[in-house]
Amino acid sequence: MNEDTNVKLPFFGIPKILPYVKKYRKRIILMILMGITASLIDSLFPLFNRYAIDHYIGEQTLDTIGYFIVLYLGVLVFQVTINYISLYWAGMTEMNVDRDLRDASFNHLQTLSFAYFNQNNVGYIHARVMSDTGKIGELVAWRMMDIVWNGSYLLFVLINMLVINARLAVYILLLVPAASLLIIFFQRKLVSVNRKIREINSRITGNFNEGITGVRSIKTLVVENIIGSDFKKDTDEMKRTSVHAVRYSATFSAAVAMMGSVALALVLWKGGNLTKEGLMLIGTLSVFMSYAMNMMEPIQFIIETIAALIAIQVNIERFTRLMETESDVADSKEVIEKYGDTFEPKKENWEPLTGDVEFKDVSFMYPDGNEMVLEHFNLKVPAGTNVAIVGETGAGKSTLVNLVCRFFEPTEGQVLIDGRDARERSQLWLHSNIGYVLQTPHLFSGTVRDNLRYGKPDASDEEIMAALKLVSAESVLEKMDKGLDSEVGEGGDLLSTGEKQLLSFARAILADPRILVLDEATASIDTLTEKAIQDAIETVIKGRTSFVIAHRLSTIVDADVILVVQDGKIIERGRHRDLMRKKGYYYDLYTRQYEEMIVNQMTAA
Amino acid sequence: MTLMEKKKFDTKLSLLLYFTRGCKRWFALAVFFACAVSLLDLVNPKIVGFTVDTLISGKPAEISGLAAWFVEMAGGADTLSANLWMVALAVVCVALLSAVCRALFRIFNAIGAETLVKRMRDTLFDHIVRLPFAWHSVNHTGDIIQRCTSDVEQIKMFLSEQLTSLLRVFVLIALALTYMYGISPKMMAVSGGFIPVIIGYSFWFHKKIGSQFAIVDSEEGKLSSIAQENLTGVRVVRAFGREKYERERFEKQNKFYTNMWIRLMQLMSAFWSSGDLISYLQLLCILIYGSVLAVSGELSAGSFIEFVTYNAMLNWPVRMLGRVIANLSKAGISIERLRYIMNSEEEKDPANAKTPDFHQDITFDHITFSYTEEGKKILDDVSFTVKAGSTVGILGSTGSGKSTLMYLLDRLYPVEEGKGRILIGDTDIREISSDWLRKNIGIVLQEPYLFSRTLAENIAIASEDAGQDEIRRAADIAQLSEAIERFKEGYETSVGERGVTLSGGQKQRTAIAQMLIRKTPVMIFDDSLSAVDAETDAKIRAALKENTAEATVILIAHRITTLMHADQILVMDKGRITERGTHEELIAKGGTYAKIYELQMQQSDVGEEVKE
Repeated sequence: MNEDTNVKLPFFGIPKILPYVKKYRKRIILMILMGITASLIDSLFPLFNRYAIDHYIGEQTLDTIGYFIVLYLGVLVFQVTINYISLYWAGMTEMNVDRDLRDASFNHLQTLSFAYFNQNNVGYIHARVMSDTGKIGELVAWRMMDIVWNGSYLLFVLINMLVINARLAVYILLLVPAASLLIIFFQRKLVSVNRKIREINSRITGNFNEGITGVRSIKTLVVENIIGSDFKKDTDEMKRTSVHAVRYSATFSAAVAMMGSVALALVLWKGGNLTKEGLMLIGTLSVFMSYAMNMMEPIQFIIETIAALIAIQVNIERFTRLMETESDVADSKEVIEKYGDTFEPKKENWEPLTGDVEFKDVSFMYPDGNEMVLEHFNLKVPAGTNVAIVGETGAGKSTLVNLVCRFFEPTEGQVLIDGRDARERSQLWLHSNIGYVLQTPHLFSGTVRDNLRYGKPDASDEEIMAALKLVSAESVLEKMDKGLDSEVGEGGDLLSTGEKQLLSFARAILADPRILVLDEATASIDTLTEKAIQDAIETVIKGRTSFVIAHRLSTIVDADVILVVQDGKIIERGRHRDLMRKKGYYYDLYTRQYEEMIVNQMTAA
Repeated sequence: MTLMEKKKFDTKLSLLLYFTRGCKRWFALAVFFACAVSLLDLVNPKIVGFTVDTLISGKPAEISGLAAWFVEMAGGADTLSANLWMVALAVVCVALLSAVCRALFRIFNAIGAETLVKRMRDTLFDHIVRLPFAWHSVNHTGDIIQRCTSDVEQIKMFLSEQLTSLLRVFVLIALALTYMYGISPKMMAVSGGFIPVIIGYSFWFHKKIGSQFAIVDSEEGKLSSIAQENLTGVRVVRAFGREKYERERFEKQNKFYTNMWIRLMQLMSAFWSSGDLISYLQLLCILIYGSVLAVSGELSAGSFIEFVTYNAMLNWPVRMLGRVIANLSKAGISIERLRYIMNSEEEKDPANAKTPDFHQDITFDHITFSYTEEGKKILDDVSFTVKAGSTVGILGSTGSGKSTLMYLLDRLYPVEEGKGRILIGDTDIREISSDWLRKNIGIVLQEPYLFSRTLAENIAIASEDAGQDEIRRAADIAQLSEAIERFKEGYETSVGERGVTLSGGQKQRTAIAQMLIRKTPVMIFDDSLSAVDAETDAKIRAALKENTAEATVILIAHRITTLMHADQILVMDKGRITERGTHEELIAKGGTYAKIYELQMQQSDVGEEVKE
């Protein structure tokens, strides 16, 4: 992706993040003041050397040494203290801003519609929450402090030099623009080389991924050498580019160091002459020398910070774009007033839900699509009806389900829940009454209990066990050593797919929803679990309005109505027997897709 | 091949030495120039001291050797004093030389480091793709990738940034202390006394910072996976209306994670500011003691300035020393993690591996197999023979062991001694070179993997010298060309992770083309027509028949029409062969096969039958 090249926002995009920083403005102002003070003291420290050289060594006396030590220690302690505080605060501010931004973006995501999730992949969204926010926090704290520290240090050094000896100071000042130009020149080059390095690096990681996930194919095709030599091409390029980059940056830092030495030489020459003529003391000469050598680093820092500011704009832009994305499925003001919002529901006003669903003259087009996938679609689903939706993978079977769940809203027409437009009640109200079992069952890391309670937070252990029993999932528990307290691992990784499925059925049953949405798995499961799941499905859909994206013979054959989807559109509807008799698309689909099921069911019998 | 000479690595050091083969000379050059830099860096303070004392203050010169020679060459101290620009020029020249050496140090160091990284990555990659398939099935992809990326990076950092700097720092410290000793042994003692203090404090902090960092890291992982789970499970979250719960969960972990970071920040701030404290205290001691010495006439102003400059130079390198020592353990852990991979054994062929002709009968002789030691038997005493040039069809439910049979034949998993044999003619496949075996057996997997390349490259991946015509022909037979032509870039369309996503059927047909172009004497279709419709299935089989007349074919399928023309059909259930024979024989027998056939042929009534 090349989007990180040219984003330009007014004032580097900083105004856009001010609202998130406001909270901390007092501390930030104090931080800046302390930073400036610290730089001032830093720039004054060489004056101690100067005094020691000119007074004690030059005049051969130790008369004021007691005061000297006390003053030095006093300044030092003060310096160290404010340094510690400003460093600590900068770190704290960075982390607090990071945290606020992460919370804000995460919470905002909870309210966005599925159009957003369909258009952006998980990795992309995840990076918005986890990494853009970090970059912005860094900007607020460290980048700002870098400018404060180095800018004020540079300023104070220049002032000190001008005060101490203006003529000599001017010589050195002449070097500043030269050094700046040099640094800017190299900086540019480095940015583009480094981008290339990152690109190759992610390619290499991708290669590793391919080498590992594709290992079965690599072995059966005996292409280890081919894949390996291609890999070496990438690592070769990486090596070349990296060395190339270092050549730049090495020349760069050598040049910067040279500039410092040139400044030193200048002071030695011009200042030496002044000292010889008695116009300047040796101590002053030494102060100038240390200033001259230490000036280059802050200049380099400031320029690097500016480069970083330019780079951070991309992160700010991505973050604000996320925050400015509005859900295209939003509850109206009146609805929120009565039913509450996503985070603060007003359950006292919620009506019970019976489960009648009706599509009334619904036309629908996906927000990122360019064609109506439903046109003037009408369907009445009385409470308790089982609807099976069948079609090939990728045919668009989830469209109806998305509409029932109000993950999307109809482009035209209405979806009625219990006779009223779904939009008249809050999303949370509807969702609290819908059970959802996914094709790839999704569990959250945590215990079995946490997961089962997901749809009913106050469920007792007895209720949980009863639900597990209903779907014959107790066997899953028996295998685990801590019963309901057993961890399921990240995304349920510690369980097999079949076990995850059984648990997600139990979870759905526990929530006791009036409407159930079920996306049946196509993945192969061993026959015993298969049987358990089939029974579980029958149990779960009994007595509820259900929409099943179906792959199982029994589910389909039993359904009250079958909707057949092809290329996103519903082309046939009716009961199994009628559709088979028609010998249309359903008939074809059926004969093709269910051969495996027949074999499985017959040999297992 | 370099990999063959490699054996087990008993220690971390032996692995490190193996990896650094070929880059040691670059590191040696880097260290050489680093030492030169240290040496040169010490020259300018000397010049400054001489200038201040002799040329400006007019004290008698206390120089000797090379320095005296230089002064002589320039026309003596008086000439120099009158022409200070010459001194300035000398400073610039020394600085230039030092800058060049510094740049060379970094460049050679980078070459060393990149050579090292390349060698590590290449070795790891080569090794990993040659590890047995069984190894891959028990090790997590994410974990291996992390070892190959961040652990490699960690080792590189350690060797190139820390270890070379370490050497440089030692040289610098030694030289600086020597010079400082030359100026004033007493002052040197004061300044040098701080060195162990600085190293000690830096080490102590880095240990603490390191362990706090590990905590932060793992908390970040937890936070990140909460976000990840929320995003991947967005449908579940919404459908159960648990947005509020999710918010609380995230905010709680977010807060905890942030607090861990703040604690880390506190440590780091304490580290930085106490570092300042110590070095300024050191400076104070030197200033005071220097003044005292100067007043008693033991030290000149020039020497004093010189000394302070040397002292300042030591400041950072010494602090860094503490860090390097603290990081030693991190690098050690990384090496250990790579050692695990490198010590896993690659697939091995027996000595004098055989390369028999594959136009022979294939015999499965009493095969019993399970994936784990006490796990359930996937295959239980399976025996059958595939006559050379014949076609065998295998029908069975999911999990009945059909695919496992094929994996065993291709030696993706080994058949244990005493649990049966697989023979090609009369050669046990354990005695056959695995490359030879796999080159002669083509398998189309049920879920084929496409590489991040173009379609043409994917088809021809295992037969590099195949021309455009052959690729097109293979695609034709696999009924893929039509689909390919619909892509804008045709055969040059990129697929895989970074390219177009193909449908399951298209992937399968690509894999079929991939196998056809190899013209292997044995061809296996592992349920690889499951995602194509019956019509295409028939077309592919017809085309295959014409083109693979001499090949031995094993067909695994659920669709009886796919299998029915096979010379022999096996029905498998729970790891056993329950029926075998030709289509006609099996129908006549009236067993499971016949029943399935009946069902599949009379689909219109299937629903009702299954329900009963």
